[in-house]
Amino acid sequence: MQGYIVSRILLMIPTLLGVAIITFILLRMVPGDVVQLKLAGDGGNVAAEVIQAERARLGLDKPLLAQFFDWIWGAVRFDFGLSMWTGRPIIQEVLIRLELSVQLTIMATLIATVLALPLGILAAVKRDTWIDYAVRIFSIAGLAIPSFWLGIVLILVLLIAFQYSPPLSFTPFFKDPVENLSQLIWPALAVGYRYSAVATRMTRSTLLEVMREDYVRTARAKGLRESLVVVRHALRNAFLPVVTVIGLEFAFLLGGLLVTEQVFNLNGIGKLMVEAVLRRDYTMTQALILLVASVFVLVNFLVDLLYVWLDPRVSYR
Amino acid sequence: MADVTTTAGLGPGPTASRRAVRGPRWLSQVTKFARRRTLGFAGGVVVVLMLLLAVFAPIVSPYDPEESSFLDQLKPPSREHLLGTDQFGRDVMSRLIYGAQTALVVGFGASVAGCSAGAILGLVGAYKGGKTDLLLERLNDVILSFPLIILAVAVVAALGTGLLNVIIAITIPIIPRVARVIRSSGLTLRQMQYVEAARALGVSDTRIIFRHLMPNVVAPYLILLSAFLGQAILLESSLSFLGLGVAEPKPAWGLMLRGAGVQFLEQAPWLAIAPGVAISAAVFAFNLLGDSLRDAFDPKLRV
Repeated sequence: MQGYIVSRILLMIPTLLGVAIITFILLRMVPGDVVQLKLAGDGGNVAAEVIQAERARLGLDKPLLAQFFDWIWGAVRFDFGLSMWTGRPIIQEVLIRLELSVQLTIMATLIATVLALPLGILAAVKRDTWIDYAVRIFSIAGLAIPSFWLGIVLILVLLIAFQYSPPLSFTPFFKDPVENLSQLIWPALAVGYRYSAVATRMTRSTLLEVMREDYVRTARAKGLRESLVVVRHALRNAFLPVVTVIGLEFAFLLGGLLVTEQVFNLNGIGKLMVEAVLRRDYTMTQALILLVASVFVLVNFLVDLLYVWLDPRVSYR
Repeated sequence: MADVTTTAGLGPGPTASRRAVRGPRWLSQVTKFARRRTLGFAGGVVVVLMLLLAVFAPIVSPYDPEESSFLDQLKPPSREHLLGTDQFGRDVMSRLIYGAQTALVVGFGASVAGCSAGAILGLVGAYKGGKTDLLLERLNDVILSFPLIILAVAVVAALGTGLLNVIIAITIPIIPRVARVIRSSGLTLRQMQYVEAARALGVSDTRIIFRHLMPNVVAPYLILLSAFLGQAILLESSLSFLGLGVAEPKPAWGLMLRGAGVQFLEQAPWLAIAPGVAISAAVFAFNLLGDSLRDAFDPKLRV
């Protein structure tokens, strides 16, 4: 087991290194850089020397390989440098926004789980009835409706029905929980509904598979109530894939909030990323992509470890 | 798309229809598909409808989608403009119809390219094994650790906006996802005797992959294709919504929601409704179709 954990952690290194290399190359393919955009962007004529000096200050005049190693060496020590656009430390810029994004991710995952588990179970138990069909349509719709549009519709409904529009500035949870929740519940719903769809379908299909197993038949044969058969015997065994899906969604969400944050005008990681990309802020974009990818790889690993705890049959050598 | 609906009728089950249906064979298969998989058939109908709208857009749409008129800015739905007009006085209905072209071109382009490249890479990995397989798998891992939308955004950032670049940006994240599924089918195919026989006859690797393995993954390929079509359309609309997709004045559904949809929400809510309904209906239809294709061909496949 310890050997497995160590090897998995070691395997993360080449993956993340690959992510870093691809990100670095992709960004350097972009025509024009941050200096051009920042200085010459307003149509003002800036002397070539000034542009050169600024490039040198940001280290953009060094050979690509040197730039890459500088960045990687920093990243290894958790020093991501300064944002090329604002000039402030990236860690600082990210930390301000991380609270909002993490909270939103947690809320959306909670909503997704709370929706998905009962719906998925219901659909599996009432297989091929109208309930099953209704749940399936509900979940396929969740996959089809873009979360940003659902967000727009939610804002519209709130506006028309309650003359309420979400506040423009973010209130931290510990400052005023009510204010905070009333602001974040709508984007969380918009995103959570979408992510519940995948988990609902997974719950339904794995539960249906498990219900065919011998031990479920045994449980029924000994006269156990159907609800107990489902909850105690079937559900526990159907849980693994569901946990995987929920875990992966959690990891994806952190980066996937990109569009929803835009709709609700929330100043989170996603919005920062879009801005960084549009401004050719290399250092910021690189750091953010690496952050999201690391979270993804890490959660993936934790989900695998969770398996062992949830299912004694699973063991890693 | 019509041919996909008909091939869907070729799914497993009794081939001999109890009732003799008059008309050509494919028609009876379509009716059988409609009876057995009502939801999937409904999805297929919407898809066909969307295709027709896109192809006949110049005939069907009442106005030029890019023509602005300063006298008709932000008009609510009326008899002249069934879905109203936007902030430039352009007819929303016409933009919606032409938007179907954009969505379908990007959707088909990206999913066909992504699924084909993914299938080839998956089969190469499965067939060659060893170092090639390991390398491809690692590369897949790397690409899979980017969330879909973030990778697409990064690619658009690198290549710039525009129709072709958006297609490329959506193709790349599809490739490893398809490669993974096809690789696992390829691993069992490799053990087959006809592959061994071909190899013993001295058939080249390329030929084995394309002539012997490829035809046997057509079913998962088609299923994946229909599954990613919906996703590609959704991704295109997200990119356009972020301003990283198709550029104005070209009509695209996500673009119609950007700016106007949010900015004039109170003043002109119709701007925010119609494109969203169009995106949802299109993706919904493709998902329904894809789901029933999967159920018909290969219920165990996890997409």
